[in-house]
Amino acid sequence: MTQLPELVAGGLAAGTLCALALGGTLVRTRRRNAALRAEVVELRARLDGAEGAFITEIEHLAARRMPAAAAQLAHPHLRVPGPAREHTPGTPTGIALEYVLTALREELTAQRVRIDAAAQAGLRGATREIQAALYRLQDALRGLQQRYDEPELAQTLFALDHENEQSLRRAQVAAVVCGAWVGLAREESHVVDAVTGGQARLAGYHRVKVHNHLEPGTALVSHAVEPVAIIVAELLDNALRHSAPDTDVVVNLEHVHHGVCVTVDDAGLGMTQDERARAQRLVAGSDPVLLTDLGDPPRMGLAAVGQLTRQFDLHVDVTSPSPYGGVRAVLRVDSRLLARIDPGERPPSASAPRSTREPAVRERTAGREQPVAETDARETAGQGTAVRATAVHGTAVHETAVHGTGVDGTGASESAPTAPPAPDAPAVGAAPAPGVGSATAVGAAAGPVVGNATAVGAAADPGGSGPDGSGPGGSGPGGAEHARAGAPAPGRQEPVTPAGLPQRRRRTRAAEPGTPPSRPAARRPEEAAAALAALQYGTAAARTPKRASTPDPHRTDDEGGAAR
Amino acid sequence: MTGRRGGRPLVPAYLSTGGVARPSRPHLERLTVLTRDGAPLPAGLPAAELALLELLSGGALTVVEAAALLRLPFSAVRVLAADLVDRGLVRARAPIPPAERFDPDLLKRVADGLRALKHR
Repeated sequence: MTQLPELVAGGLAAGTLCALALGGTLVRTRRRNAALRAEVVELRARLDGAEGAFITEIEHLAARRMPAAAAQLAHPHLRVPGPAREHTPGTPTGIALEYVLTALREELTAQRVRIDAAAQAGLRGATREIQAALYRLQDALRGLQQRYDEPELAQTLFALDHENEQSLRRAQVAAVVCGAWVGLAREESHVVDAVTGGQARLAGYHRVKVHNHLEPGTALVSHAVEPVAIIVAELLDNALRHSAPDTDVVVNLEHVHHGVCVTVDDAGLGMTQDERARAQRLVAGSDPVLLTDLGDPPRMGLAAVGQLTRQFDLHVDVTSPSPYGGVRAVLRVDSRLLARIDPGERPPSASAPRSTREPAVRERTAGREQPVAETDARETAGQGTAVRATAVHGTAVHETAVHGTGVDGTGASESAPTAPPAPDAPAVGAAPAPGVGSATAVGAAAGPVVGNATAVGAAADPGGSGPDGSGPGGSGPGGAEHARAGAPAPGRQEPVTPAGLPQRRRRTRAAEPGTPPSRPAARRPEEAAAALAALQYGTAAARTPKRASTPDPHRTDDEGGAAR
Repeated sequence: MTGRRGGRPLVPAYLSTGGVARPSRPHLERLTVLTRDGAPLPAGLPAAELALLELLSGGALTVVEAAALLRLPFSAVRVLAADLVDRGLVRARAPIPPAERFDPDLLKRVADGLRALKHR
């Protein structure tokens, strides 16, 4: 029986051991569970925190950063705020958020350019039509100015023309800003004409004073004329707008090493550093222009200047202050865009200021001189007789030739290149111009033997008759024929001095005051005979068309009355 | 205007007179003859007036001729000329009235009479 208690005791012991072992395991498990639970709670808390932070970042991105980034495209000085939390940058979240912003910027830029291009296309089309219409209006107004001279009407027409020019300028500038062509092809023109033309397009053009220090005949190649006129008009407009109405805006045209400079000075307020930088950025034309950048209403002037400087490789600088206190704008035109026009053949317009480099104000350029001579000759013809004596000191001498003046269309043009052997002897071409005046000047001899005569045909080329007068000489009677044949190509007789400058011809004086008295040239008898024969031939030739035209019933009364 | 030699003119006509088209003296006509007077040139003349004076230094011109040579409308040159006359730089002479035409009818009758005398 002793076995039973032992058994019980053993069972109990085993049970206790088991219980202890199980209890330990249970406790450990429980502890681990508690730790795990705590970890789960902590992780959940951290997850909540991270999610919150992420949501905060996204909200911050949507509410602050994206609008700022969008606005920054239009206003580069704006700053885009960083992420909401300090330690986000550099983390994958921060980098991803930056990607969002970059993509947004790119897409917005593309959209802006696309929308702006559409707006520009629309504006371009509209302004093109308007510009064409305004040019037609300008034609009509100028036609009316020619036709009607009643003072009140003329005054109105002038005012309308001016208004039209201003509208034209606006339309043209808008078109140019939108990337259109300037809209008008011009031929080579004087620089001073382009500047004066630009001046005329402004409301306050009275205040603009142009000083022309250019060599006469300095011109722009054809495709640069209108751009220069537009640029000058816009620079002047800026200057006029930003200066007091009682101050002048001074324009100087000067030669520089690389071409020509047009300097516009105003005596206004000047610009601040920022404005100056913005203006220079615009006129440099390096960035593409967006209409939305130009404000509302868009200020197009400088942007148009920028477009043109880029397209035509002109240079505009507005960074320097003017000595007058305002802004100095300098337009530089490279020599590539410059040309030369013979100021005699095509003088600048009457309103354009004279060049300060012209030899003297009283000096006429040759081209004007020719029509004057023509008119003079007509006048003298009307008065019945005239003896015209001309001497050009120095050289090749010639008498005026009148080319056919369209009334009878014969083109009776006889010149009298009396060419004495001594080149400096002034020749006297006597031109009896009797009566009806279809032909006036009478040809005298060109010494064929001496060969220093200047024939009319040759004189059409001013360079042809050199200082020694030994141009391709017309000889005697043949010279007269030659002259007549050369009449349709208007025989322009330009007296040429040794320096090659045209000299003015006086109606009354026989010689320039400074010229030494003429020394009678020694002539051989053959030469004298040839000269006399040529004179007679020329006289006869000149009178023939007159007789032919005498019965012409269309001659005016004063002439007809004198003849009958 | 003498045709459109240079295409559309760059410089409009109103610039020559500063936009004025009412002449200071009303009597200038198209055929009024202008001559240069000897008075010395004052400083600061407008460019267009200088151009007109230069034209006239070559001799007398009618207003309309000067207009054609300057490529300006007559109304503008009239203003320039009036101003120059006011300044005593230019003399203006009224146009010579055209002589009366012979009456062709009268001439014919005289000729007929002469012929009749001859054949008598």
